[in-house]
Amino acid sequence: MRLSRYCRIIALVAALCLLPAAVLGQEFSQIKRNNNAPPKPSGPTPRTPDGHPDLTGVWNGLGDNLLGVPNQIANNGLAIESESVTRDLHSGASIATFPRNTNRPLNNEQAERAATLLRRVGSNRPIYKPEYWEMVKNLDANANEEDPSNNCMPAGIPRAGIPSYIGQFPNYFIFIYPGQGGLIATQTMYRMIPSDGRKHTPLQELDGTYTGEGIAHWEGDTLVVDTWGFNSNTWFDQLGGYFHSENMHVIERFHRDGNTLTWTATVEDPDVLVEPWTTTPRVALLNPKPGAMLPESQPCSERDLSHIVTKEHH
Amino acid sequence: MRTKTTVLILIVAATTACAVQSVSAQSSATLDRTKVLRAAADALGMARWSDIGAGATRLPAIDIVNTMEFSGSGTSYSSGQTLKTEYHAAVAYNPPAMRVEMTRAGSGGGASQHTIQTVRENFAWNESETGAGLVPGKGTATPAMDGLKERLLQLWTLPFGVVKAALAAGDKTTVSTESGSTVITFPLSGQLSGITLKATLDAQNFVTKVQTRPENAALANLAFETEYSGYRDHGEILTDIRSPGRIVRKQGGRTVLDIEVKMWEANNPYVVFPVPGNVKAAGADSR
Repeated sequence: MRLSRYCRIIALVAALCLLPAAVLGQEFSQIKRNNNAPPKPSGPTPRTPDGHPDLTGVWNGLGDNLLGVPNQIANNGLAIESESVTRDLHSGASIATFPRNTNRPLNNEQAERAATLLRRVGSNRPIYKPEYWEMVKNLDANANEEDPSNNCMPAGIPRAGIPSYIGQFPNYFIFIYPGQGGLIATQTMYRMIPSDGRKHTPLQELDGTYTGEGIAHWEGDTLVVDTWGFNSNTWFDQLGGYFHSENMHVIERFHRDGNTLTWTATVEDPDVLVEPWTTTPRVALLNPKPGAMLPESQPCSERDLSHIVTKEHH
Repeated sequence: MRTKTTVLILIVAATTACAVQSVSAQSSATLDRTKVLRAAADALGMARWSDIGAGATRLPAIDIVNTMEFSGSGTSYSSGQTLKTEYHAAVAYNPPAMRVEMTRAGSGGGASQHTIQTVRENFAWNESETGAGLVPGKGTATPAMDGLKERLLQLWTLPFGVVKAALAAGDKTTVSTESGSTVITFPLSGQLSGITLKATLDAQNFVTKVQTRPENAALANLAFETEYSGYRDHGEILTDIRSPGRIVRKQGGRTVLDIEVKMWEANNPYVVFPVPGNVKAAGADSR
């Protein structure tokens, strides 16, 4: 009897001592991904008969996550590599990283405010001429009213980022950018980009458009799309108030490695920028389904703006 | 026999479990620093995450403070006088930079003084207007390398800078209790090597006092004591980042700055600090 009670006490002590480990194990078993690293390439890089990499495909393999905070943080240049390591890819700085201190989900207000900060924490910022510093800051601060894409207008180039579909033909490319909801509400865009060796139309002969006049050529295995002839109705990144003039010149680079596509854009605008600015490289994943199709874009209908009473924004 | 075996297994299990507990308790003791710094970061609203559109991804919290801008009114001490002062600061931590613009009322009805003092990493300069020296014909940037350490010190003694620097100092950061208050002490590094920073937290884990102690006489002018109070979200765009509402900085017992904060935008606003070419050249020459 005494022995039995002794055993129960020991068992109880053992159970209590091991409880934290058990709880911890349960928490970890629920975590599927704790980093925002871009997808690693796998598989061969297909080539067209003329020997160039074949970029054709539906490049939305990351699904909804493309517009999520983890991906936005990556676009802003921060690599959260683990539970304890975050790096700013532009400056190389180490960013303090902490475990979450609650398992409770944040309420909408907490999550939105945190997301706004997380999307802006990176160091890779375009350098405007000083006379525009206040303007950029104010555009960003008043983005609810000022963001030109908020009312279902085209995102423009390079804000649209990586096209969700690329069709590669011997003398031209087709890029499709489905309209987006969520972070920004924009309408569907497409571009038909010649790669037949033609030269740009002189800038002064072009009427500025949202997607400009893009012309493609290959530099080794990298597709370079050189575009000018824009209107000034867009911002050149998803946030930040980064306006531009009609003198903007954008050079995009696309490089396929297996099932991944890496994209960067360099923005030159001597009217407003002190120096060219290059985005942090972004990586898209090929849709793994062999018969992948782009779904129809939902009609864009902005109904929230008139109800917004504070300056909090995306 | 079976009972003895059961008892033996249970004893081994209990011993193992208690050994695990012992290691855990030991790491809890060494984790005090981690807990204190996390509490200080949380008080300020620095450690954040968000799951919007994250799918199955669960990222850890990260330090979300990079750029800030704040302004206030009060007094400052200059050239033997305490003058009414309008104060405006733009701040960045990645890369470390700060631009302080002060307009001091003229004494005895004299002309007001307007200064813009800027620092970024290893460069310090004065601007005749914001962003001077970057574009031809737009103001003058004057190298001011003598002010480099003091300007960097202003940046790192702000509450957010204290927590960042304490985290970066790692094992060199110590945590103790003085007169019932938690105190964080650590050596500064880089350009500020040779200076020890001591920060006092209040019961809500806000940084309320920051003292800098140079280790040698050559750095004696970098001994400051700064008090912070009135923490709340001072931004027009609310961020849940709590910033101080009053800043009082003293040097050698004299108050050199005393301002009430009117605005503190913590929304990582667009503030940039490109180093003008002539400042880079002067900085290279001075090394």
